[in-house]
Amino acid sequence: MSNRGASAPVRVDDTLWEIPAYAREDMRVPARVFADEDLLEAILTDRSLEQLQNVATLPGIVEAAIAMPDIHQGYGFPVGGLAATAAPDGVVSPGGVGYDINCGVRLLAAPFTAGELDDRRRGALVAAIARRVPTGAGKGGPLALGRADLDAVLEQGPRWLVEHRDVGTAEDVAATESEGRLDGADPAHVSSRARERGSDQLGTVGSGNHFIELQRVEEVLDRDAAERFGLRRGQVTVLIHSGSRGLGHQVCTDYVRRMDAALPRHGITLPDRQLSCAPLDSDEGRAYLGAMAAAANFAWANRHAIAHGVRRAIADVVGADAAAGTRQVYDVAHNVAKLEEHGGRLVCVHRKGATRAFPGQAVFIPGSMGTASYVLAGREGSMERSFGTVCHGAGRRLSRTAAKKQVDGGALRRELEAQGIAVRAASSRGLAEEAPLAYKDVDSVVRVVERAGLAGRVARLRPIGVVKG
Amino acid sequence: MESNHRWIEHTAELQLEIHARSEAGVFRQAVEALRELLEDDQPARGDRAERTVEAEATDRGALLAEWLAELVFLAESDGLVPEEVRDLVVGEDSVTAVVAGRLDEPRHLIKAVTYHDLELRRDRDGWRGNVVLDV
Repeated sequence: MSNRGASAPVRVDDTLWEIPAYAREDMRVPARVFADEDLLEAILTDRSLEQLQNVATLPGIVEAAIAMPDIHQGYGFPVGGLAATAAPDGVVSPGGVGYDINCGVRLLAAPFTAGELDDRRRGALVAAIARRVPTGAGKGGPLALGRADLDAVLEQGPRWLVEHRDVGTAEDVAATESEGRLDGADPAHVSSRARERGSDQLGTVGSGNHFIELQRVEEVLDRDAAERFGLRRGQVTVLIHSGSRGLGHQVCTDYVRRMDAALPRHGITLPDRQLSCAPLDSDEGRAYLGAMAAAANFAWANRHAIAHGVRRAIADVVGADAAAGTRQVYDVAHNVAKLEEHGGRLVCVHRKGATRAFPGQAVFIPGSMGTASYVLAGREGSMERSFGTVCHGAGRRLSRTAAKKQVDGGALRRELEAQGIAVRAASSRGLAEEAPLAYKDVDSVVRVVERAGLAGRVARLRPIGVVKG
Repeated sequence: MESNHRWIEHTAELQLEIHARSEAGVFRQAVEALRELLEDDQPARGDRAERTVEAEATDRGALLAEWLAELVFLAESDGLVPEEVRDLVVGEDSVTAVVAGRLDEPRHLIKAVTYHDLELRRDRDGWRGNVVLDV
């Protein structure tokens, strides 16, 4: 049974806590969490550490199941955790990536400052983004693709949109994790249902916690890194948070089911069915890796197409030169599994609600609506302590239902607007679900990863407008 | 005992707990719960439509999850908000039915039906189902 409660974590150092592998008979490695006392107290109020211990039972997991300070309870894997598995008996687990394959964030930097946008133009820009980029449940993207074109996007990611649809630029592709294309993507392993769900969703934000946020750089915290990322105080930035939409949801659904059925054949027993997995070199494992890579490429193409919509909105309101001068800082995935070399061996790093943070690489940590977001740069410590990984956000504190009970969507909208944040949302309820009080304090989360040496703060971004699904 | 369902608070997702007199009652009630979620208090108004729904699985819990996964797929691909279940047959490793409803733009997106804490079993008063949805 999964509901057995977590063992007590032991403090290792200033920011790291560990549940030793001997805490439970079925754990193969320790479970580690980066946190401070306050964040750990919040983490202990839900089942996230018990779920992290469950992850530590996966065949072939190496070193530790590791959680970031924004960890919260999920289903199967906790959100905000990572697991690295290695051959020969290492597994890949679709639940370790999640349903929203390659959910991630992309940051654009505009060539104008917030001071150059008066209230009217700021509101008009948010409205134009909402017009140019579809949000909310369902379909109706600007780039409906036939089967052959969809296959090309699944194989090539955003590069195909640049070369065949004149969407975005080669510079955007270069400023994307893995250049927007995971090797080994195999559309043949993506089901017709997944294709059907995703075929007209390219260039759409979706709902839930996905959004497009207009921001200003409130403070530069690391001048050299900020200069390298092309960020300066007062500048307008746009943060895009979305993923692979229905296509990715269906890929995960298909392979959780398929691997669950194959567990007895592989001799794998698990404390939670949602951890269903298969050896990396099995038929199921290889097929999933091919389908997951295809869905990841689709997600990068999706954020690329959304960025194109944002540039068109900037052209509508500020002008064509401003749109052309809007540069992509970087794009990072926070739900993905990748084959990487760590400590001299090849491992499959599952990041679920966790971001790759190689030394010097840009990482974006969205706060909740109305609060700051951060630009970080990965540091050497991430390679030594967390398989080149850092947190992905503030981390939920309250359920969506609890948030809706405590917050009136209409009142929240007025409050945000009073703070100078223009809001466009598909529904007031959706807005209430994502209210700031539903999340942990993003400042505490990033302070912990900085103190742990995983990443350093580069800039703090303050919202001035939001478009929500 | 009337069939009923409730949504249980879960940090990031929605947990659905269903009680019914019979096993088939759980499958029917699951459709009612899904309708409630998709409509989000705004009744669907589009054209009426019906679909034959079939799901297979090797155990009872997975059969309930796959039944719901079929309906989630129809909601996203066709915009079907289900209202009524006819000719429901719950077998050893399959479930089939005709599901009628309205074609609309569902208000609520359901990403997936998970296998976490999945359950479909007899209890003292009848049958109990438990499913966690990723929304």
